[in-house]
Amino acid sequence: MLEVRDINNHYADLHVLKRVSITVKQGEIVALFGPNGHGKSTLLKTICGLHPATSGSITFNGQEIAQSPSHTIVEMGIAYIPEERHLFGDMTVSENLNLGAYNTRAHKSIKQNLEFVYETFPRLAERKSQRCSTMSGGESRMVAVARGLMSEPSLLLVDEPSIGLSPSMRSAVFESLEKINREKGITILIVEQEIRDALKLSSRIYMIKKGEILFERPASGLDVSEIEKAYF
Amino acid sequence: MESFANAIVSGLISGSLYAAMALGLTIIYGISRVFNFGHGIVALMGAYTAWLFVQEAKTAGLPLLAGMVVSCAVLFGFGMLVYQVAMKPLMKKANWEISTVLFMLGMGILMENVILQLFGPRVKSIPVFAEGYIKVGMVQINWHELIIIGIVLAAIVLLNLFFKVTRTGQSMQAVAQSAAGAKVVGIDIERIFGLTFGLAFAVTGFSGILLGTKYFMNPHIGWEWMVKGFVIVCFGGLGSTNGAIYAAIILGVVEALATLYLGAMWVWPIWFIIFLGVLLVRPQGILGGRV
Repeated sequence: MLEVRDINNHYADLHVLKRVSITVKQGEIVALFGPNGHGKSTLLKTICGLHPATSGSITFNGQEIAQSPSHTIVEMGIAYIPEERHLFGDMTVSENLNLGAYNTRAHKSIKQNLEFVYETFPRLAERKSQRCSTMSGGESRMVAVARGLMSEPSLLLVDEPSIGLSPSMRSAVFESLEKINREKGITILIVEQEIRDALKLSSRIYMIKKGEILFERPASGLDVSEIEKAYF
Repeated sequence: MESFANAIVSGLISGSLYAAMALGLTIIYGISRVFNFGHGIVALMGAYTAWLFVQEAKTAGLPLLAGMVVSCAVLFGFGMLVYQVAMKPLMKKANWEISTVLFMLGMGILMENVILQLFGPRVKSIPVFAEGYIKVGMVQINWHELIIIGIVLAAIVLLNLFFKVTRTGQSMQAVAQSAAGAKVVGIDIERIFGLTFGLAFAVTGFSGILLGTKYFMNPHIGWEWMVKGFVIVCFGGLGSTNGAIYAAIILGVVEALATLYLGAMWVWPIWFIIFLGVLLVRPQGILGGRV
């Protein structure tokens, strides 16, 4: 489904991604581990077109997207849920969700998607008309995930969904991701620091360090200590 | 008492004109974060385009309203052009904030001189909508000014509807609140910026036409309009349309009262004392940060 090949990317003079290649197959949940500042988030931003690669190729369902603008990529079915959330703070929850369905494809099925999103996050259904800038960290994380789902993606890129959340909120978010994958068949590529939680969720993992892919493993039977060792 | 009441009314009239003028400035800043230092000249371009149209169309019998529509369309196109040719590449540069301001300033000076070449230095004015006046109690008001207030109110209502109801208006609000968020949901923000410049230039040109019907105009008056617009949007809160409207009304009334009791020379000093005072107490303006 997603084929990233020999991607290089920079921030000014900083070489952040070095010949990175990963693949994600239809229906999988793939986790991306690695220390902070080693290129995980940049890889997601590269795929979704927010920070296009300096070289290399990315194909999505066979189409080259490495240099496509982000609005084209969203239209094709890739949704990115940023760690920073980037919500529209002065708008209500439902206005944020409606804008999530901005692309023409998602606009047609806005009703069903709203239903699914409110069923997945009942808390948001209670707060439809609350302004997002007044919500707690966990709630705004839910809005960010829900807004991503409203774009009717087939591939969801999630950047550290659990960061700064209470344990109960964290498991609520992870459960919702699993439900999204199971019930909607949405493929997920997730960057996460909570290794144990992410391992339970995913089928495969990539370890990224200093901008390079260190290794790739199936998630089942994987030793957490092996990953933790790679962090240092 | 009679002169006080008439001063308040005349303050409300100029306030609504200033509101219309400040709207264009605050729309561009609120959405694209570009501060249009050529703002006054854009207003003047709208006024001169309408003036030209009305002069040429006199024989054809076309009314001022038609001239306004044509002028707004021309300014919309000019705004899109300025974005495509200059803002789009400049906004990708690291120091875009200062380079866009300088470009707009330079464009203003250029267009001021284009207007001077085309129309000459002599003072012009656009004919009024209607002659005559009505008297309500002790207040006397020109039909023309009543129509101006009506048009400005209609424009504000229409703009609000546009931002609330239409898809493009909503995406403009989204970009204003979080450009990154707008990209994430798949909004083509360069397209939105282009439309924003078109819309803001059209609104600014529209306000210039109204100003040109109430006051005189020459190729240099744009800078005075510019300074007024600048004070209003900073007072109201940069990027806040409602703030700009309130600020314009307040400053319009202050202007009329200052003229009545102290003389016209006092208008600028009092404006700036209020403006600087507000900035010291509330640097974000009265309604800062909201479109």
